[in-house]
Amino acid sequence: MVPIEYYLLLSAAVFCIGVFGILTRKNALLFLMSVELLLNAANINLVAFSRFHGNLTGQTFSLFTLALAAAEVAIGIGIILVLYRNFADVDVTKATTMRW
Amino acid sequence: MAALPFELAPAIAALPFVSFLIALLVGAFAPRLLPKGGAIPGILATAGSLVLSVWAAVAVWNHPDGMYHDSITWVAGVGDAAFDLQFGILLDPLSTMMLVIVSLVAVLVHVFSLGYMNDEGETGLPRYYAGLGLFTASMLSFVFASNLLMAFMFFELVGLCSWLLIGFWFREPGPPSAAKKAFLVTRFGDYFFLVGVVGVFATFGTTAFVGSESFPILADQVLAGEGASVTTFLGLDPQAWFSVLGLLILGGVIGKSAQFPLHTWLPDAMEGPTPVSALIHAATMVAAGVYLVARIYGFYALLPQVMALIALVGGFTALFAATMGVVKREIKQVLAYSTISQYGYMMLGLGAGGYVAATFHLMTHAFFKALLFLGAGSVIIAMHHNENMWDMGGLKEKMPVTYYAFLSGSLALAGIVPFSGFWSKDEVLYEALVHGLESPILLAAYAMGLLAVFFTGFYTFRMVFLTFHGKPRTDTARDPHAVGWNVKVPLVVLGTLAAVAGLVNMVPVAEVTGIHLEFLHDWLDAGPEALTAHHYADLIPYASGEIGSPLLTVLLSAGVSLGLALSGAGAAWLLYDVPEPIRHTDRLGRVKTVLFNNYYQDEFQVWLANGVTLPLARVADKFDQGVIDGVVNGVSSVSLFSGGRIKRIQTGVVSNYAFLLTMGLVVLLVFIGVTGGWF
Repeated sequence: MVPIEYYLLLSAAVFCIGVFGILTRKNALLFLMSVELLLNAANINLVAFSRFHGNLTGQTFSLFTLALAAAEVAIGIGIILVLYRNFADVDVTKATTMRW
Repeated sequence: MAALPFELAPAIAALPFVSFLIALLVGAFAPRLLPKGGAIPGILATAGSLVLSVWAAVAVWNHPDGMYHDSITWVAGVGDAAFDLQFGILLDPLSTMMLVIVSLVAVLVHVFSLGYMNDEGETGLPRYYAGLGLFTASMLSFVFASNLLMAFMFFELVGLCSWLLIGFWFREPGPPSAAKKAFLVTRFGDYFFLVGVVGVFATFGTTAFVGSESFPILADQVLAGEGASVTTFLGLDPQAWFSVLGLLILGGVIGKSAQFPLHTWLPDAMEGPTPVSALIHAATMVAAGVYLVARIYGFYALLPQVMALIALVGGFTALFAATMGVVKREIKQVLAYSTISQYGYMMLGLGAGGYVAATFHLMTHAFFKALLFLGAGSVIIAMHHNENMWDMGGLKEKMPVTYYAFLSGSLALAGIVPFSGFWSKDEVLYEALVHGLESPILLAAYAMGLLAVFFTGFYTFRMVFLTFHGKPRTDTARDPHAVGWNVKVPLVVLGTLAAVAGLVNMVPVAEVTGIHLEFLHDWLDAGPEALTAHHYADLIPYASGEIGSPLLTVLLSAGVSLGLALSGAGAAWLLYDVPEPIRHTDRLGRVKTVLFNNYYQDEFQVWLANGVTLPLARVADKFDQGVIDGVVNGVSSVSLFSGGRIKRIQTGVVSNYAFLLTMGLVVLLVFIGVTGGWF
């Protein structure tokens, strides 16, 4: 059996890639993808601990997270569409008109 | 179930209030429907009040308790130390006597107004009669008030009516200014009164005048050490704290009854119509202050220092105002200063422990001073509204009814036997003398009061001789305007009363002959135990002295005051009862200038306002604008400035927010790691 530390390392790596993506990219679509990475890093953790503890609760929760991610993408795509209509671009750093 | 006259007691005040509403509403919306501009409803209402008052007085006399008391709670207290605010009616000998006086004078003044206002073609009559109606209603309510708070509320209302009526001719420059002055000066005193009312509430939890829980009774029990406990403030013992309360209430009394140093409003108030002066500024409203002291005399009698102060202020005011009356040119000004002086006598009587004497003088003064003002009003009608006595003269033959009525009032005012003023003023001075023999302060007050008798006799008869005797000095005086029945009837009624009202309490005659003639004393002794003259006589903090024997003291006191009054009147007779009188007061030189300018009291008060209060207010304003507002404004500009800087971190760029979130998470993790011991 693969020890749990390996899964946790994988999860942390995926999470860091997601954060890096959010911090460095300007494209809103890449933002969405990075957020998917963050969610899936969490999923890996849930499944790993579920297996480690020998019950199915974590796996059930990861299914909920998948559903949530789907819904989030639907809303996110909608926001990106509006962003494009208003600013003719999907660059998140351009949309600063509501600050003060 | 109370007797019918007691059940009807609220109507005593409600009737004039209805006449006020009629004059106001009908006068505003359908003036053609209002007979005589509102005078008829006013006369009917006040006559109804008079009948009900007399009936209530008879019922009080026949009632076994000698009083009627009923009240309703309009604000119920909440909490442990709660007290209720009440409206109530207290009918006892003192209040019913005052009700009769007020409603009688009100009826006569309403009738007189027909001649003075309606026949002279004045405009704005509904406003005038509305003011009179509201005043009468408020004054009557003040008189039968059963507690101090209610008394205060109606005390303020009569002040408002006084303001409305002094300023009746508001298109001329004088009256509005005089009205404002009267309002402000009396309000200055009322401010102390209000604080006193709150103080009485906080101390005793009640302001009731009557009953075992009334505040004079509680105060008596506390000072006697009989169990009852009260809250005192400022760390004072009960005696000292009660004196403070007494002085605070006295502030309202001094303002309203025009005592030194708050007397300056009354002479100016003569700018109002003369019937108003008769009703408000002589017979009734000004009496409210003195009446209030008599009403809570059970409280004041416990406080010797306050009593002495009342006597001193009264005696001083009596003399002070009388000297100013000597040099005045206008007939109403003389009467105004004599009013101040006579209220000084009442205060002297109250302060000297002469409860009956002061009440007696209050009654007789109401009659003879209302008479004198109405007589002056009659003269003013005849003189086409010229009030200067040097333009009159010789009116005796032209208007005999006015002359003889006026003469009756003048004899009463000067204190010539057997007119009413002699009996009452003599009793006041007698009380001051017998108690003064044991107390130097009272003796000083007595001396001032006694000296004022001479001046009273002088200025009164100077006024009579200048107005009615000698030769006419102007064309108007040669051919005066005729006055009608509505002027003469009130004069005749009051003239008779001024002559005979003193017969109800002829103390000197009773002392000499042994016949029982002290009817007013019996009347004021008929009430409930704690409100009787007898009870007050036990409470007053003075011992009585005598000169030789009691009989000799009475005769000496009466003889001296009568002698002084006669010499004053005689001096006026020698100087002014000539065909062509000259201005003898000019011989006083600079003294006359000082007297004519009222001892520069008005200038002094203006200086107090401009020279002391204004700079003080400026300093306070500086402090307020600079320090208080400065701190507040400083706090706001610091927030504004720092907000303007800090808002810059809100860039609107999502990446920055994500960065801050991530950094925050990292810092949190490091912090938890360090404190949790991971490293």
